[in-house]
Amino acid sequence: MKRMSAEHQNSINKSKEKIAKPVLLAVLIAFFALFPLFVRSPYYLHILSLTFIYTVAAVSLRTITISGQFPLAHGAFMGIGAYLSALMAKFWGWLPLLCIPLSALATAVIGMLVGFLFSRLRSLHYAVGSLFFGIGVIYIIYAFPCTGGYTGMMGIPRLFQTADKMTYYYFFLVLALISIVALYRFEFSHIGTILKAIAQSHLVASSVGINEAWYRILVNGVGCFFVGLIGAGYAHYNMAMSPTAFNFMATLWLCMYVLIGGINSFAGPIIGTFFLFLLPEFVRDLQEYSPYFSALLLLIVIFFMPRGLVSLPALLKSYFLKRGEGERISNVSGS
Amino acid sequence: MLKVKNITVRYGKSVALDNVSLSVEENSVVSIVGANGAGKSTILKAVSGLIPLDSGEIWFQDQRIDGSSTVDIAKLGIVQIPEGRWLFPHLSVLANLQLGASLRKNKKEIEDDIQKMFRLFPRLKERCNQKAGTLSGGEQQMVAIARGLMARPKLLLMDEPSLGLAPVIVRQLGEIIKDINKRGVSVLLVEQNVPLAMEVASKGYALQTGKVILEGEIEKIKSSKVIKSAYLGG
Repeated sequence: MKRMSAEHQNSINKSKEKIAKPVLLAVLIAFFALFPLFVRSPYYLHILSLTFIYTVAAVSLRTITISGQFPLAHGAFMGIGAYLSALMAKFWGWLPLLCIPLSALATAVIGMLVGFLFSRLRSLHYAVGSLFFGIGVIYIIYAFPCTGGYTGMMGIPRLFQTADKMTYYYFFLVLALISIVALYRFEFSHIGTILKAIAQSHLVASSVGINEAWYRILVNGVGCFFVGLIGAGYAHYNMAMSPTAFNFMATLWLCMYVLIGGINSFAGPIIGTFFLFLLPEFVRDLQEYSPYFSALLLLIVIFFMPRGLVSLPALLKSYFLKRGEGERISNVSGS
Repeated sequence: MLKVKNITVRYGKSVALDNVSLSVEENSVVSIVGANGAGKSTILKAVSGLIPLDSGEIWFQDQRIDGSSTVDIAKLGIVQIPEGRWLFPHLSVLANLQLGASLRKNKKEIEDDIQKMFRLFPRLKERCNQKAGTLSGGEQQMVAIARGLMARPKLLLMDEPSLGLAPVIVRQLGEIIKDINKRGVSVLLVEQNVPLAMEVASKGYALQTGKVILEGEIEKIKSSKVIKSAYLGG
């Protein structure tokens, strides 16, 4: 009897979860959609726009990792998208709205080429290989005078005629939503299952006839498409940029967003990016220490929440449930 | 349909297989028995292209396959069910089965075959949304076999399927292998469980330190002194 009721409870909880998730999502989206109507401060709109941009970068980085490879060049790919789009718009006079998808496609192609070159490398070798590719990209940007080299590139055509932050806020909100939904559907498609299978064992995967190399190249293309897309958007928003925005440090920050949020969950990088982007806003005085802060945070998260911030609700729940049970037991023994 | 001709395989300096030849005929079950380290699994790995040969040739249906990639060999219809039930442990049973059909295109046929597997292994239907890694040993072995069959292989390579299974499940396994064979799939079975290997096969090979010491009809193998004294307790 007891077991029956427990199962029943379980199914109720499950159906509760089924309703709770879409409701939570709808509330969050509504919140960000209505936010500019209440908070008109351009500063906060700017910070949130950047958060949307880096969320897409972090989510697309995690998409590549579901195939079991850990790329350390994602910041550089963001730079490839940004510089390609900026150069096209500035020197060929093309419309930024056209340059952004074009450079996203170009970034995807470059990502697949790199994936092809590195398709024999796995785990650590792949990480180190991509790391050096990322460093190489920065030197290539330095080498061409048209990019502005060390001093950075100025006068990148603006995305829209207006400088109004709200317009850009909505642009990046919509772009981020579309990208995240696309990456979500990709991960939970049949191809996503194949990628997870490859991550679990590339030998078993190839023994059932999965062309492992091709899928790893493909996921590189998908991840790089979205980071190129958002990088290009960033270029036409900022209108000026230097290669340091896309160097190894930038890649490390992206990794940090993914790891602190939780690499095993789709929501992980989203939570991680928002947390690390918005936290400094609350402790403005400590901003110059933010790298140390984040490193400390990563240590804390790894120690107490190895699955990342995503697992916090579940951890708290089990903690309080245990405590509740403990109290009940002590009550019983007391009476 | 499968002919292995005088193959030699080395791991570094040590010789794993020394001039081994064997053949599997159309629609038959062939067993390879032998102690640990005799090179049984190495034969299967060589056939499915997971390790390179030092010398010798492997032919499948009049086509030379040594030197081909694992994926290309799988495309020809040779599917290996690896030792230790190598599944995708974090994917559902259903996903594991679907991935077994990675080389097939016809979605309806794949769906039909999944239903067929559920009829063959009713346990898997109950557990279809559970992660494969959370199943019991016997159930995982069923997933591994079903996943192998999902590829509609012509030749199934089974590496120690009885490993770690309870005796009653091993008996079922024998029935399943016979059943698979009745459906027109040839099986090359590597087994330490000699009674099982003898029960299902029509032909057998005995391996010792990388060499074939005995081969022929299963009755001949069964009655041979070596096998009797070493494995069958007689």
